[in-house]
Order: sequence, then structure tokens, then C-alpha cells
Amino acid sequence: MTTTTLDREALQAKFAEKFPEAETIGAPAEGSAPTELKGYLTVRFPDGERLLAALRWLKEDLGFAYLDMISAVDWKGPVDIDGYIRDPNPNVFLPDGATPQVQLPVANKTVAYRDAVELVYLLSHLDAKIKVCLKLDVPRDGGSAPSAIGVFKSADWQEREIFDLFGVAFLNHPNLSKILTPDFLKGHPLRKDYKHQKDRFDD
Amino acid sequence: MTETAADNKPKLKSDQMFINLGPQHPSTHGVLRIGLTIEGEIIVNAVPDVGYLHRGTEKLAEIRGYHHCVVLSDRWDYLNAMGNNMVFCMAAEKLMGVEVPERAQQLRVLMLELNRIASHLLFFGTYGIDIGAFTAFLHAFREREMVLDLFEMVCGARMTYNYIRLGGVMKELPKEWLDRCREFVPFFKKRLAEYDDLLSFNPIFLDRTKTVGAVGGKEALAWGWSGPNLRASGVPYDMRKFQPYSSYEKFDFEIPVGKDGSCWDRYYCRVREMHESLKIVEQVLGGLPEGPILGKGVAKVPKAPPGETYAAIEGARGDLGIHLVSDGNMSPYRLHVKAPSFINLQILQEMLVGQKISDVVAILGSIDIVLGEVDR
Repeated sequence: MTTTTLDREALQAKFAEKFPEAETIGAPAEGSAPTELKGYLTVRFPDGERLLAALRWLKEDLGFAYLDMISAVDWKGPVDIDGYIRDPNPNVFLPDGATPQVQLPVANKTVAYRDAVELVYLLSHLDAKIKVCLKLDVPRDGGSAPSAIGVFKSADWQEREIFDLFGVAFLNHPNLSKILTPDFLKGHPLRKDYKHQKDRFDD
Repeated sequence: MTETAADNKPKLKSDQMFINLGPQHPSTHGVLRIGLTIEGEIIVNAVPDVGYLHRGTEKLAEIRGYHHCVVLSDRWDYLNAMGNNMVFCMAAEKLMGVEVPERAQQLRVLMLELNRIASHLLFFGTYGIDIGAFTAFLHAFREREMVLDLFEMVCGARMTYNYIRLGGVMKELPKEWLDRCREFVPFFKKRLAEYDDLLSFNPIFLDRTKTVGAVGGKEALAWGWSGPNLRASGVPYDMRKFQPYSSYEKFDFEIPVGKDGSCWDRYYCRVREMHESLKIVEQVLGGLPEGPILGKGVAKVPKAPPGETYAAIEGARGDLGIHLVSDGNMSPYRLHVKAPSFINLQILQEMLVGQKISDVVAILGSIDIVLGEVDR
């Protein structure tokens, strides 16, 4: 644990020194694709090994004791409507054949859609009140990342959740299995191209 | 005479037996299944199994408008639905750059704290039942009823309120609401003092909880605990102080912290939090500013500019967060809920090993989970 006060600039400099390959992302320009998480120092890593090293470094050397959350975003593009069981129109009072009130999502040209699932790790420093966001792109098909369970035990179920809903494998996870969806469900529902397959509960 | 897991190792070797606790079991507080392997009455392996209540709200949000998502959010932690409304609105407002008027901010604080009281009251009552004390439940539900009546007056619902909306709150308070609320505060204060005699310092209750399920601060942080659970282990981490939102910085309150992180500490942290919440409610009632209750700039079909944000609040169960990504459409591109119950629950697989089977319910109850939030 360091006793020196940590601020965003100091941390950014430390990152640049320790992980020169990692890219610190600044605030997005007006009208451009989302890159930075508002209020967080955002760092993108080229591979999982360095991300894991950074997590360990942040926790053990800099005192980032708290892992806020791990999340994932599938950047394939707008969601496939076949992934839903029900009609996308949530207004049950509309008569049959009425125009749906919902505009389905369409691709936005300024957004950097790509063939990747982005993992997002948020960490907090409880004393210095500083927050860091680490990002890692893994391929959508057969993508994998090292498990953070050795550093933060709380990664356990969060990684299983991402495995279940996105199909990203976490290497060296002691129990990487489905957690939220039922055993018979095939596929990973939060992927944008997920298609619902009819099962015995549909009718 | 704290018993540690090591002391509890089975002294006689006997056959192992597998027991299913749940999913339909009254003391699992919903549909949670724990696969327990026991040797005699000592647990040697515990596998929590969740997902029975998974409704896929994160996927549903991807084709629904932002106003519809507030409705979805009510269904996560249904005991603290105001908090869910709040955190989703905060995230969306951050993305859209909407300013919330002062009166709406304080109304939000008022509702959040009342909801925290209602949620902790339910914990207080059901935890008593888990341990075998039925009277506390009846007392707690009488008071909880009064809070729910207040909510019913203001938004028409006793659960799933949908009161906190993008840019502010749904409605101005009804005419006699403030008086009713002002009556409730002193009434509840008196009752709250009774709770300590009723349950907190009851010798049987103390025996069942004081020496059971101790979790140290380091371990609690490593497992990502938050909320009263973490604070009971001695870490004073509270989102309301760490990163004040919605004008919490204007109110004077303390963060109750426990000592050794036992079941009783977690229980008592919540009881003391009710006192603090009541303090905040009194302060809000004392100086509620006049003004609009809905901010400007929220469209009927709002679209957020492309961007990404994370908003977190101190829910009744811990650090409730929303990771919201927008690609400029009418619906969120991705909505991730950091659900405190989900993260608080995973420690069970380590914590239950070495404990007696009769303590399982005491430990599980003290973590205070809501399965609607675990499975989302």
C-alpha cells in the first residue's frame, strides 16, 4: 500500500510507466463513438495477461481493494429481434396489427461496432476515492480471458455470469459453468445475434 | 468462545450425506437452492445454486425505451424498488445530461430512506423467524405497513413503485402526506427502541448469532461484499458518503460499523441503520425546498447520446450499480446491473464449510438477499 495521495494524473502516469502497451482513453470527442466511462480513468489492454497483471498490481501495490463489478458488452451491432420470445411491442392494449410504438434499434454510424465482446472491470480505491476502469476486447467466437479469481474472489460468479450470457471463457476458473440460464437453454442470451429456440415452455 | 471453522472439523469420521436446501424452503427467502454435503452435522461442502428467478431483464431492456426500463428495474430488488428506480434514472440522467431539480432530489432521498427502513424491517422480522422468534416479525410488519401506506398514498403501489422517473419524480406529494409522514417518525422512533429489548439483546438470539459466521474485513472486501454486510465487518464503505449523490451531502448521518462481522453484527448494523435513515427522513421533512419535481429536457421517447456510464447508489443491500451503454438509439445498448445480493451471496460456498447445519439459516438470513435481484 502506498501512503502517497493518489490522483487521476498520478495514476495515469503510473499506468503509462508500468504498462506502456496499454492505451489510456480520454474523454470522447463530440459526436464520436463511446470510449471512456464517465468519471473513470479508462485503460484498454491489448491482452488478458497484462490485464490480469494490472489487476494484481492495482490491488497489491496501489491499494485498490474493491472490485466494483465486471461487465461485458457485445459490440456486434443492434440486437436481433429473434432473440425475444414475445412481440417487441410492450403495449399490450394496442389492437392487433397496430403500428408498434417501439422503434427497434438501428445501427449508428458513429459507433465503433466490431467483432468483439468488451470486458469492463471497475475498481475503487476506498481511501483515495479514485476509480479505474480496465477494458479488454476478446473475440466474439471462442474468446477467452484469464480469470481474476486469484486476485478478487468476488470475480467468481460475475465471470460465470459473463460466461453464461456472453460465452466468454475464463481460463483457470475453478468452476466455469452456467449460472443464471436453465440447463436446457442453448446459446448465450445477451449476445446480440442470439436467437430464441422454441422449447416446452413457449406454448 | 468463538468457534472457528477449524475447530468444527468433524472429529468422528462418518458417511457423508447430501442435502438439498431449497429451492422451495421458507428460510431461503425465495428460490435459492444450496446443495449441502454434510458429515454428521458439520458441513463439508456447500454449493449455492441460483437462477430460478432469472427473467432476463438486461436483455429485455435492449428493445425497450428508457421510461420502460424504469418499470423493469422495479422487479430486481422488489423490497428496495425505490433504490432500483433511482440507480437506473441516475445512470440514464448522467448519459443524457439531465439536471434534477432540488426538490425532486430531496424527495428521492426521502423515498430511498423510507424504503431502506421498510426493507430493513422486513429483514428484522424474517431474521427473527429464521432464528425462531416469531413476535419480532409481527412488530416489524406493523411498522412496515405504515411505510407501505405512505408509498401507496404517493404512487398508488405498495411494491414496484415506479415513482422515481427520469429527471425527477412521478408526482407531487398528496396534501396530507407530509403530516402522515411526520406522525410516523416519532411513532417509529419509539418502536425502534423497543426492538432492542425484543430481539437484539435477547440472550437466546445472541447465542444463536453472536458467535456464528464471522467474516473479517479483508475477506469481506475480497469477496466484494458491500452494504451493511461489509460495514459489519468493520469497513466503513457507504456510497452515500463515498460518492454522495442526490444531495446526500447535505444531510447529517453516521455510518454504523460493526466489530467482528458476526451474524449479530450484520443484524445490528441494519437496526442502527434504521435509526440513521430516520434521522435523514427527519432532516428532509424539516427543510423540503419548493420547486419543480421534474427536470427539463426529458423527451417522451428519450434517446441517449452514444456513451457509457456507471452509476452506483447505496441500496438497502449494498452497492447497487448500473453499467449503461448507449449507441444513440431509443433503448439502452447494454444494461448491466451490479446486484449487491448476487455478489454478497457467493461467499456462502466458502463460509458455510465447517459450520453446523443448524447455523446455515442463521448465516444465510444475516446476509439478507433478495432472489429477484440475484437472478434479475
